[in-house]
This record gives sequence, C-alpha cells and structure tokens, in this order.
Amino acid sequence: MTNRERAMNILHYKDADRLPAVHFGYWVELLREWAEQGKIPQDLAWGYMDSTEQDKELDRIIGWDFNWCCTEYTNNAIYPKFEEKELEIMPDGSRRVLNNLGVIERIKPGIASIPSEDDYTLKDREVFETLYKPRMQYFPDRVDLEYFKSFNEKRDQTRPVGLHIGSVLGSIRDMTSVVGMSYLMYDEDEDLFADIIDNFAEMQYQCVKAALETGAKFDFAHYWEDICFKNGPLLSPEIFDELCAKHYKKRNDLCREYGIDIISLDCDGVTEKLLPTWFENGVNTMFPIEIGVWGDQFEAARNEFGRGMLGVGGMDKTALRRDKAAVDAEIERLKRLVAMGGFIPCPDHRLMPGTKFELVQYYAEEIKKIKL
Amino acid sequence: MSIYLEISENVQCGKAKIVKELVQKAIDNGLPAAQILNEGLISGMNVIGEKFKNNEVYVPEVLIAARAMDTGVKILKPLLIEDGVQSTGKVCIGTVQGDMHDIGKNLVKMMMEGKGIEVIDLGTDVSPKTFVDTAIEHNCQVICCSALLTTTMEVMGDVVKEAERAGIRDKVKIMVGGAPVTEEFCKQIGADKYTSDAASAADAAVELCR
Repeated sequence: MTNRERAMNILHYKDADRLPAVHFGYWVELLREWAEQGKIPQDLAWGYMDSTEQDKELDRIIGWDFNWCCTEYTNNAIYPKFEEKELEIMPDGSRRVLNNLGVIERIKPGIASIPSEDDYTLKDREVFETLYKPRMQYFPDRVDLEYFKSFNEKRDQTRPVGLHIGSVLGSIRDMTSVVGMSYLMYDEDEDLFADIIDNFAEMQYQCVKAALETGAKFDFAHYWEDICFKNGPLLSPEIFDELCAKHYKKRNDLCREYGIDIISLDCDGVTEKLLPTWFENGVNTMFPIEIGVWGDQFEAARNEFGRGMLGVGGMDKTALRRDKAAVDAEIERLKRLVAMGGFIPCPDHRLMPGTKFELVQYYAEEIKKIKL
Repeated sequence: MSIYLEISENVQCGKAKIVKELVQKAIDNGLPAAQILNEGLISGMNVIGEKFKNNEVYVPEVLIAARAMDTGVKILKPLLIEDGVQSTGKVCIGTVQGDMHDIGKNLVKMMMEGKGIEVIDLGTDVSPKTFVDTAIEHNCQVICCSALLTTTMEVMGDVVKEAERAGIRDKVKIMVGGAPVTEEFCKQIGADKYTSDAASAADAAVELCR
C-alpha cells in the first residue's frame, strides 16, 4: 500500500496494512541543533519548509513516512500585502516592525518566540474601507489555474495531498492582533467586525472555487485557525458561531461537491467549545490535536460527535524530549485512540528544540508497529 | 440605581465613554475617589473576573472591560494620590527571558489592576535579575512570571534561584503561569503559586499581598 492509501483508508474506516509514521515538521532551531550534533547534514538545517525535497530527505533519514502538512495553496491572503517597515529600534535591541499584515510587532534578535503585538492598523471602518477591503477582493491571479489544471498528473500519488482552504477567523486575528480583534468585535460600528469577516471569507471562497473548478483532485481540504488557548477559545463560542458558521458551511459544501470528504482544521489550544460550530458545518478532522497541559481532546470529541469525527495528531511531542519510557508510554496511550478507528497519530505540533533525534527515530519505527 | 452600580455595570459592558462620564459626574458630586474606585470600577472588574473564570465571558469582554475601567482610573488617579489611598499591594510582572509573548501576561496585569493592585509591568524577555532587582527597588510583595513556551518556562526556576541569591526569598512571593505551566512545575521549581487563568491569578495576588 502507498502512504496515501494507508492514510485515506484509515480515515475512511477501511483496512490498511499498517499505520503511517506521520509528522508535522520542525522548529528550525531543532534542525540546527541536530546538525550541530552531527545527526543530519548541515544543508538540511536551513530554510526548512513543509513537504519540500528537504523535508522528504529528513523523512528518509529519520524514518518518517510523510509530513501531514502537505497542501496546495492559492493566494488567499490580503493582497498586496503592506510594505514591511522597521519603525524603531528600542534600547533593549528589539525592533518595532510594521509587518505585512499591518500589525506592529516587537521582534528581538536571537529569540525564537511568537513576537509580541504592540499595535495594529485596522482600527475602524475608514481604515477597513480604504486599506483592507481593496486587498480582500478576489481576482483571477489569486489562483494559478495552469498549475491546478495539470495538478492531477504531476502530484505525488504516494501520499495524501490537500488543498489549503484558508481561515475564517485566524487570519483576521493575524491582521488585527488579539487585542485589536477583541476591540473590533465591540466597535461602536456594530457591523464592522462582521463585514471584515464576510469580505475576507468571500474572497477565500472564490479562491477555493476557482482551484476546484480546474478539475484538480485533493485527498483533503484544510483550514488553519489557531484561535484557542489553554483555557478555551479566544472569543465567545456564540459570537464565533454567529459570525463564522455560515462561511465554514459554504466552503465545506463546495469541497464536498467536488468530492472532498475529509476537511481538517488546525487549531491549537482547547478547542472543545468551538468544535460544535466546526463539526456541524462540515469540518470533520481535528489536526494536530494539541495535548498541552490539558491532555487528549480527541476521545471526548469522538464520544460527542461519533465516528464522523476524525483525527490526525494527538501525540504529546514533549515525550520526544524526555526518554524512551516516556515515548513508550505515549505509544501505549495512542493505541487506544488508534483502536477507535479514523485516527492517525502525529506529534501534536512542530518538533521543538531539545527533541532527541534518536527518540524521534524510535517513535517513527514503533508507531508503524501498532496493530490496526 | 446608585452611580457606583452604574459605573460597575458599564465597566462590565466595556462602555468606556459612559464610564468616563459617570466617574467625572461622581467626582463632581463630591463622592470620595476611593469609593468610586472600589464600589464602581473595581466592583465591575470583579464581576468580569468571576465570569471569565467560569467561562461566561471571554478574552474580548475582559479587554473591553479593562479598557473602560482604565478610562475611569485615569481620571481618579490624581485624586487617589491626593487622598493618600493605598493600593491593595504591589506586584512586578513580566514574560520571562527568551519569550516575547505577552497576551497572557497583559490579561493578568489587567485583572490585578482590577483588584486595586499596583502592577509594575516589565514587559517581555525579562531576565531573572530584572525581576528581582525591580522587586527590591519597589518593595513588591509578589513577582509574577509568565511564559508561553516549554523552552522558556525553565527560566522561572532561575527567577526563584535569583531571589534566593539576592536574599529576598522570604520577603517576596513568586507566582507563575502561562500555557505550558502546571501546578507540578510550580512546586518543582520552588515557586509559591500557580494559577490556571488570569482572574485566579489576580485573586491569588490579593491573598499573597495581604
């Protein structure tokens, strides 16, 4: 069986010869660590991107079957992006930078961390209408139609390949910062936040439609959101449902019309309260199911939503920083989830600095041995 | 409805402009600044804090309430100083060295201010020495450390060690929190208090400042 057949069969509750050893990429700092330790060649430690030849070479060295994060993209961001500008250098050496989405971030050299968000541009209706709305319009060049037309012939047939279908709220959060998004939600202009979401979502829908109309076939469709944290969602589930549900439904219905029946969504944090909106509107696969300090969320989701709820992820990647016993314990725990069907284990996010190379090799080998 | 209750309710709804007007009206009516603060602004934030703990409101509602409270505090501040009104306690807060993420830290800060605590915000990427030097310089009862990353949370242990080295460990309590932090980790590094959310952190800080 190919890895594509294995993965798709498992997610459709059909027989497979074994589990595929699936991962979700690396922090670049980890690859540099491994290169310094002589575990991987230096040239594989720089410029990492998911599912490239470099990634596939790492797969071969480590023993992975493939990186789940393998999707084709349309240009569904704001366009043109803002010109990135350095605004000032602070006494502590950090730089205040206006990023290409219009958010002012504070970045410090040598620190591998999400930057702090100092300020943002999208604060009112006037800015939205003049600076953002024109950048949220659909136009044909957003989708490389020639590429998608020949996609079926040139795609990798041995592994699942998805279509990235964007983000209903996560990208808005990226454009406005968490604080800005919160203020916009309660702006005096009560329709403003909904207008932002609606405009952006419609453009993304048109991108998906154009890509699918070329005849390109995908194994799955995939969203990125990241709108939850350790205590739950970044906004009220009711507001989320009211503003976003219709957009998921429209986009997911379109995907199903074109034969895509696996629609996954990447959201870190505790997702429980947003799952009903996602599931009821067509998202059926949780990925990467972050474990964090709260533990597994997949089993509860399966119990609530039934066999229609699928999963890829849920492996506590921090075990790969500890020892063999921790990895063994994690594999034991995962066996239960695998036995439920419709679930493929995968580290619950990118492998981070301090991850032990030999433990990753060991995990990749052992996970293939779990009985289906 | 009393003006205090009106202020409290408008803080809860995040109505900054109305809160500003009401606070000014209360001052103009000769009401004591401390009472406007405690029975109006802080009372409103307390309600929001409890609701946040119980998942009845979310981050946006906390942020707009804090913004509304802040508009009122700005007007009251000179009067509070003039009247010699003391804060509930003094805390220095920051995101630990190597970590630039500050959303959680800022939420905790807002919640603590909503309890009447004076908070010295050290920002992000704060070294153990800066935490401890600040606590000494400003007589803080509590050092509050935040981290988003598993790779940076270890620095919290260095803050505890730095406080020991500086000889202030018995005078200052150390609180820890953030996405990867747990009660077990707090005990392991010898910190005093872990809380799982911003509102509980503010409650704990009030207790620790007593």
